[in-house]
Amino acid sequence: MSGPSMIPAPLAQLPWKLLFLVMAIGGFGLVVLYSAAGGHLKPWAMSQGIKFMVFIVMALVIARIPEQIWKAAAFPLYGGILILLLLVEMLGFVGGGSQRWLDLGIIRLQPSELMKLAIVLAVARFYDILPAGQIRSWIAIWPAALLIGIPALLVMVQPDLGTALMIIAGGLTVMFLAGLPLRLFVGGVAALAIIAPLAFFFGLHDYQRNRVLIFMDPESDPLGAGYHISQSKIAIGSGGIFGKGFLNGTQSHLDYLPEGHTDFVFATMAEEWGLAGGVLLITAFILVVRWGLRVGQRANSRFARLAACGLATTIFFYVAINLMMVMGLAPVVGIPLPLFSFGGSAMMTVMICIGILMGIERSNRGRSRFD
Amino acid sequence: MTTLVARPHRVRHAGQRYQWLVTAHYRLMVMMLVFLGVGLLIGLRLSYLAVFGDEPRSRVAGTLVPLRGDIVDRNGVPLARTIDAWSIGVHPDRLLGKPEDLAPQLAALLPEHDAGWYLAVLRSGKSFTYLRRRALPELVAKINALGEPAMAFAREPERLYPQTTLAAHVLGYTDFDGHGVTGMERVLDDRLTDPAQRGTPVALSIDSRVQAAMESELFAAMTSQQAVGATGLVLDVATGEVIAMASMPVYNPNKVGQSPPEARRNNVTQSVYELGSTFKPITMAAAIDDGVVTSMAKRYDATAPVAIGRFRIKDDHPAGRWLNVPETLIQSSNIVTARIADEMGQARMEAVFRNLGFDKPPVIELREKGRTLWPRDWGRATTLTTAYGHGIAVTPLHLATAYAALVNGGTLRPATLYRVAPGKAAVGRRVFTESTSARMRQLLRLVVMQGTGKRAEAPGYRVGGKTGTAEKPQAGGYSKSVNVSTFAAVFPMDKPRYVVIAMLDAPKGSAESSGLTTAGYTAAPVVSRVIARTGPMLGVIPDANKEIDLSDLLPLIWKPKGHE
Repeated sequence: MSGPSMIPAPLAQLPWKLLFLVMAIGGFGLVVLYSAAGGHLKPWAMSQGIKFMVFIVMALVIARIPEQIWKAAAFPLYGGILILLLLVEMLGFVGGGSQRWLDLGIIRLQPSELMKLAIVLAVARFYDILPAGQIRSWIAIWPAALLIGIPALLVMVQPDLGTALMIIAGGLTVMFLAGLPLRLFVGGVAALAIIAPLAFFFGLHDYQRNRVLIFMDPESDPLGAGYHISQSKIAIGSGGIFGKGFLNGTQSHLDYLPEGHTDFVFATMAEEWGLAGGVLLITAFILVVRWGLRVGQRANSRFARLAACGLATTIFFYVAINLMMVMGLAPVVGIPLPLFSFGGSAMMTVMICIGILMGIERSNRGRSRFD
Repeated sequence: MTTLVARPHRVRHAGQRYQWLVTAHYRLMVMMLVFLGVGLLIGLRLSYLAVFGDEPRSRVAGTLVPLRGDIVDRNGVPLARTIDAWSIGVHPDRLLGKPEDLAPQLAALLPEHDAGWYLAVLRSGKSFTYLRRRALPELVAKINALGEPAMAFAREPERLYPQTTLAAHVLGYTDFDGHGVTGMERVLDDRLTDPAQRGTPVALSIDSRVQAAMESELFAAMTSQQAVGATGLVLDVATGEVIAMASMPVYNPNKVGQSPPEARRNNVTQSVYELGSTFKPITMAAAIDDGVVTSMAKRYDATAPVAIGRFRIKDDHPAGRWLNVPETLIQSSNIVTARIADEMGQARMEAVFRNLGFDKPPVIELREKGRTLWPRDWGRATTLTTAYGHGIAVTPLHLATAYAALVNGGTLRPATLYRVAPGKAAVGRRVFTESTSARMRQLLRLVVMQGTGKRAEAPGYRVGGKTGTAEKPQAGGYSKSVNVSTFAAVFPMDKPRYVVIAMLDAPKGSAESSGLTTAGYTAAPVVSRVIARTGPMLGVIPDANKEIDLSDLLPLIWKPKGHE
């Protein structure tokens, strides 16, 4: 990582490999959005490009924050965002109908989006505090479960099943990495297999249940809610190996593909760039996630290790759930493809993720240097 | 990981710390494996989609399978389809704007109701009301532009009859739930909604071009004659296929609610009429078959009315002489027909009509079938009057199938509204002999050439047929001035292909018919024009040089001096 001496040290110390990957993904996204708008910067590519620049700068700023501060701020951050979630919930009651954001004037802040990160930090901090010997005791489970359960429940009633599941998954990942007894997870999976059908019939909203049903058989309602999945699969399939070429997609341009610039942007991309483009993009995301996991692997403190792996997993969940949804392997839950889909929320979350990861890397690198 | 293990000086509880490092390492590996697995799964799925394409062609086509199958005519012209239409509704309980502002705007865009009506709807506080079940996208856009969140738009499958009123009574219509209420929509309900079959349209026997010609001619005649109704039918004599079936007044199956209930009545199969003199050829054929009429030259007394009890059977235009068989039909003599029926006797006359199915509802797929008025007791009076079509009421479809049997060699076939593949026609049942049928072709042709049916002639088409003018039954008897005028025709007479029936209900006469309301002046011209318009479409080539051989009958016809 040490560059020539004429380059200022802070600049030389940046994880350029990662930044290059992130910019490649974001740039590719801009190209696809440009094409999705029929070869125009407006309405998506331009605004997305500006957001991308803003957020990458923000990530670099966050990267300056040392691990210790995150460690100290983990619980306060979690508490603050929990309060924001409650606030949204209450405003939602007042305003009528479901509301997921707070309008801050400049941006609409979705606390549930930030909770995906805060939960990882909070649970990681919890296991950091927990004496290593108590990892197999009851005290290792219930506070973490509470930490995860409360925000998940709040988000679930918004109702936003996808985000709630991601919060749960992020928290569980940290619990898993913290070394809780394996039988808990095996048992959990078994319990889920029993509870899932019950939840499906009694716990889900009609539209959520519908989505699951349609996921099982999208062709049952090809012009209704199954339309997304069917059209998405057609778009991906029509791309073939090398795609139809830049600006040549028909499914997305002719508006056959709904949400072709947001949640289903991967299908738009695959139609024009084919399997080749898809494999490249997935590879890029895998490399980003691998980098994040490596940061965790190399970290020295328990908190840093758990937080970094948890954050990397959060990025992975975004990508995996979106791709599985687009390809008809998972129900449509409204999770965008981070850095790639049009829209600021997910991009912001993932950029903060990357920022914290860079910060953890920087802190640990620094320490090891002085060892 | 090796680097971590290499820093033992940082570990306070070395053993424990080492233990959880191993656990963490192991856990991380498991996670990475899971990630790798998921990544692999996504990659495989992507490759599968890219290489094979998720949707084989048939499945893409599957998205186009309608909820209810199409109905097409015999040439594949769509008569009924299911489309995705927009519906416009409102949730009055979720209204944000002021009803008094919104109501006039709605009234301007949806003019079927006035602003007051909309105001009442908007103030009703109901959770939902339809404003229009079927709307064009432009209208939906305009309503949407009003900016009222309580307006609701939905895509709903709608049954569309692209030809509007064409063959409305054949097609019928569906209810809001998309189930057939009348017509073939009702008959075919299971077939059209069956997921395995609804992708394939059902072909009817109707030819929409012939149907259109029939409807236009009937409508023109009905208008000029100021008739209250009109009915028409074209039937294939060899297969029983109904090529056209029209009943007026008509309704628009796209907007059923806007038509009066009587317009929804299919007069071809639901209404029964005393069809008058059109029955005479049937009686005559039966008499020839039975050996009562042994020679065409045999003469019967038409100089005086026939008395049965207090009735007297008279002719409208008394011939004042004895008439042979061809002359009887040409002049449409009630007296002679009654005398012949008298000779046949009650049992045989009744058997003929039963044989033709006049005692039962017509045979066709439609459920809208009328019960015939079958005489309660067959006395001598009944025998004599039914011979010329009075005292018995059947549907026009009964008449058409009977005429088909009269000319096609004597076989009665059930009428059908399905297209019949070549060679797949119903076997049918013999009701007249082959030779009688041949004779009837000559006689019917003579009626058009020389008798009451002259106006039914279409040059080159060798039309044959018979008029029937029945006085309309009224309270307390028959009306002298209100008629049901029918013309039952067949063409081309040398090799019969189609029965064409036209009927006008209560025509008042026009300049063209010289104010006359009898069938020869009202219904016969309709038949002539329909044949002239549709003959070529039906594959009948007009030929002025072709003619049925009438050489054995022509000498029998008496002509006034100077006209020989």
